[in-house]
Amino acid sequence: MNRNVGIAEMQITTDADDILITYSLGSCVGLSLHDPIAGIGGLIHCMLPLSSKNLEKAKAKPYMFVDTGVTHLLQKLYNAGATRKNLIAYVAGGANIMDVKNMFRIGKRNYTVLRKILWKNNILIAAEDLGGNCPRTMKLEMKTGTTWIRSSGREFNLMGEQKKDIKSIMVEADRETAGGIVNVFTNTSG
Amino acid sequence: MSLRILVVDDSRIIRKIIRKTLQLAKIPVDVTFEASNGKEALEILEQNDVHIVFADINMPVMNGLEMINSLWEKGIMENLKVIVISTDGSQNRIEELKAKGVCSYLRKPFTPEVLRKIVLETIGENNGII
Repeated sequence: MNRNVGIAEMQITTDADDILITYSLGSCVGLSLHDPIAGIGGLIHCMLPLSSKNLEKAKAKPYMFVDTGVTHLLQKLYNAGATRKNLIAYVAGGANIMDVKNMFRIGKRNYTVLRKILWKNNILIAAEDLGGNCPRTMKLEMKTGTTWIRSSGREFNLMGEQKKDIKSIMVEADRETAGGIVNVFTNTSG
Repeated sequence: MSLRILVVDDSRIIRKIIRKTLQLAKIPVDVTFEASNGKEALEILEQNDVHIVFADINMPVMNGLEMINSLWEKGIMENLKVIVISTDGSQNRIEELKAKGVCSYLRKPFTPEVLRKIVLETIGENNGII
């Protein structure tokens, strides 16, 4: 079932048939987090970087701000059974749409705060689609854990570094060394 | 098997960021050595088996280039993968490092995601590394 995540909103789900979608990501940033082991995912659409600008509003609508929103999202995911080390993070948005003179740089500031919060929470971004001057739609497909972006008439999925698959590299290496603890570079040409 | 790595940088913060990035990227690291200049790094490399070295260029006592030259002289460089992480990003410097057998170059400031990509490429290129 398609579930809409509005502006300054967040949703989490454990239903594999769900697709979380957020529209109109301009200078806002969207973050999808997916724990493939626990089968839990969440999507947030934040408008502004820091809650300190308006604490009252942050209390009423924590998902409006990146700092409070992402922290709340992580807490909800952990409460639902997600594990930090299994979370795969995808980021989109941070465009420069209405701010023609680039005075406020909201998109860039949103992204900077988001990076900082994820780093503090020990999460690396698997892949991202940022900047430019086109709005984006972001979609987390729970069945596959894939995050899709639609922008300027094209749709593509964010392929993370995880997909390069460190596990398969290790399995191959193990096979080659027959599980031994030899290590040496076979290729020493540098 | 897991990697044995050495991080050479005079900034403790950078050394910490590199270590944390490898951990978050789930890169299997067995042992991490740290050195704050080239001389300390040489001492570690002479006594320990290391797979990957993350090295800065501008450091006190002995800089990264002098360290790499010494590693060639001592015959250690042939069995190492060196990834240079430095503020000095001129094309000449990159060419010079490439000629000296450095496998990757990353300019500061860097994001942990880019570092992860470079490390995964370095691991992936060498089936025998892990």
